[in-house]
Amino acid sequence: MIESNGQQIDYDELVKEDAVHGDVYFRQDIFDDELKRIYQDGWVYVGHESEIPNAGDFTRSWLGIQPLIFSRDKAGKYHVLYNRCTHRAASICQEDWGNTNGFRCEYHGWFFRDNGELAAVPYADGYGKDFDKSKLNLRKPPRVAEYRGFVFASASETGSSLLEHISGPARQQIDYFCDLSPEGEIIVQCGATKLAYNGNWKLQMENSIDGYHPNFTHQSFFSTIERMTGTKPDIFDGRSDVEIRDLGLGHTNIDYRRHNLADPGAHARLEGLQQTSWGKKYYGDMVDAYGKDRAEEVILVGGTHMNVFPNLVVLGQQVRTIRPVNPERTEVYLRPTLLKGVPDELNTSRIRMYEAFYSPHGGGIHDDVEMFNRVHEGLRCSADPWLIFRRGLHREKVDDDGTRYGQCTDEVSQRGMWRHWKSIMQAEIER
Amino acid sequence: MSTIRERVENFLYKEARLMDENAYLEWADLFADDCLYWVPSNLEDYDPDKHVSIMYGDRNFLKNHVERLAEGKAFAQQPRSRMRRIVSNIEIEDAENDDELRVFANFSVTEIRKHEQRTHAGRSEYKLTSENDTFRIKYKKVNLVSLDEAQDNVTFLL
Repeated sequence: MIESNGQQIDYDELVKEDAVHGDVYFRQDIFDDELKRIYQDGWVYVGHESEIPNAGDFTRSWLGIQPLIFSRDKAGKYHVLYNRCTHRAASICQEDWGNTNGFRCEYHGWFFRDNGELAAVPYADGYGKDFDKSKLNLRKPPRVAEYRGFVFASASETGSSLLEHISGPARQQIDYFCDLSPEGEIIVQCGATKLAYNGNWKLQMENSIDGYHPNFTHQSFFSTIERMTGTKPDIFDGRSDVEIRDLGLGHTNIDYRRHNLADPGAHARLEGLQQTSWGKKYYGDMVDAYGKDRAEEVILVGGTHMNVFPNLVVLGQQVRTIRPVNPERTEVYLRPTLLKGVPDELNTSRIRMYEAFYSPHGGGIHDDVEMFNRVHEGLRCSADPWLIFRRGLHREKVDDDGTRYGQCTDEVSQRGMWRHWKSIMQAEIER
Repeated sequence: MSTIRERVENFLYKEARLMDENAYLEWADLFADDCLYWVPSNLEDYDPDKHVSIMYGDRNFLKNHVERLAEGKAFAQQPRSRMRRIVSNIEIEDAENDDELRVFANFSVTEIRKHEQRTHAGRSEYKLTSENDTFRIKYKKVNLVSLDEAQDNVTFLL
């Protein structure tokens, strides 16, 4: 509980086991509390190492609303730096990405190297003899860590390690995504499409792993598939063998393993892949890299569909970053990825598949965004402030690895996210 | 006998009107069977096989796109955008041959949907092939001014 305008926020009254109060989607005091507890002290996804492959490369990112620079220095080491001159606070990096030999603050000319070190201060004698510019390097979040190139930062000196945060079942999903490359590496370097909406950042997190909405929100996409193939996809209906999973610590997953590994479909897809020369080469390289069993498992599972709490979605071909702007405004950056060491045809087909659903002119994502805007409008009704997340509660199961799971359309994943959100918001912290 | 410029202007104005009036299928009929339609993302030019686009596709892709919008279940266009666009700054390059013209034109769209008014602008490049007394679009590339920005909703025709 915290003090806010003299009022305490009672999270027990806002988040129940099977329902969430609408206030959590637009109250400024709750948003401010999230910025501190989740987007500052917690682990926040900053970017993927492959976005900045060369010395001097940089991109911009955010810890919540705090601007960052993600840069690589001449020695090849990456850095997460606050985009703020240590003199009088001006941002020092204006471009979203590029290559540079350092960052000059154009306000008074202070110059920082790409590792954040303060290199030059104009007319430094004006600061007196004792001036120690080594104390005025660009500030950095104290903890930065990565898993398979996904770089996270935390502004807290203490807390669980990144590997504790991204627990085993979540890492296993990231592995499915990266192991689609026979070299085990994804490349986040083919641009982004970006969207924005009037609504809270958690609406996107809830939706990314929602297996209930596709048959309704995405009717137009499935109609298109039906017109093209003569078959209506049934993987998101109430009897589908796709599973929905709470991986713990707020991470969640639509799990296609059972569905995708089942024969006869699985066998037919592996055969189909090898009908083209590039598909045959890819299959062979995967078997050489991982052995037949793992290679076929990875190819058939086909990546992942998951949230890494709080701001990363790894889904299909893409890596998606969620950026809270204010309680009622969110930006989402969606980046399709390439696989290292695969035929060009496969990577191009990944880009086309991504665009078909997720680009601003694609067949799906903006129908989701429309729903976020509609939820945001409906939240204004105070007669019944509750959003119901009860679906499948009675049939939720716990798997051997400790993850909770249910049928595709169940709200296991959202309950998992909210359970974790509440535990963070209620934790004892120093202020 | 109308001049080339008059014919091109008439054609682009007609295309603009069809887009403004959400006449999805009629608009798609302006495109040639071997057309390419491209709306770049982030940058104005690159290899679309190696970089993502807002839209990149052939006639078949375009057909799926407009049929999806026309069906009325694409909720990002329910209700549909109301809009009018101005097409201007038309530049016609000398035809590489008698059958194909390269044309550039700026556009500015004022769009209203659900009480919010937005303006979108850009520059389009066309390759037009003559057909009877009019044209077909063989190639259209739309460079939005906002091509690297987070977009709220640009699901209407561009």
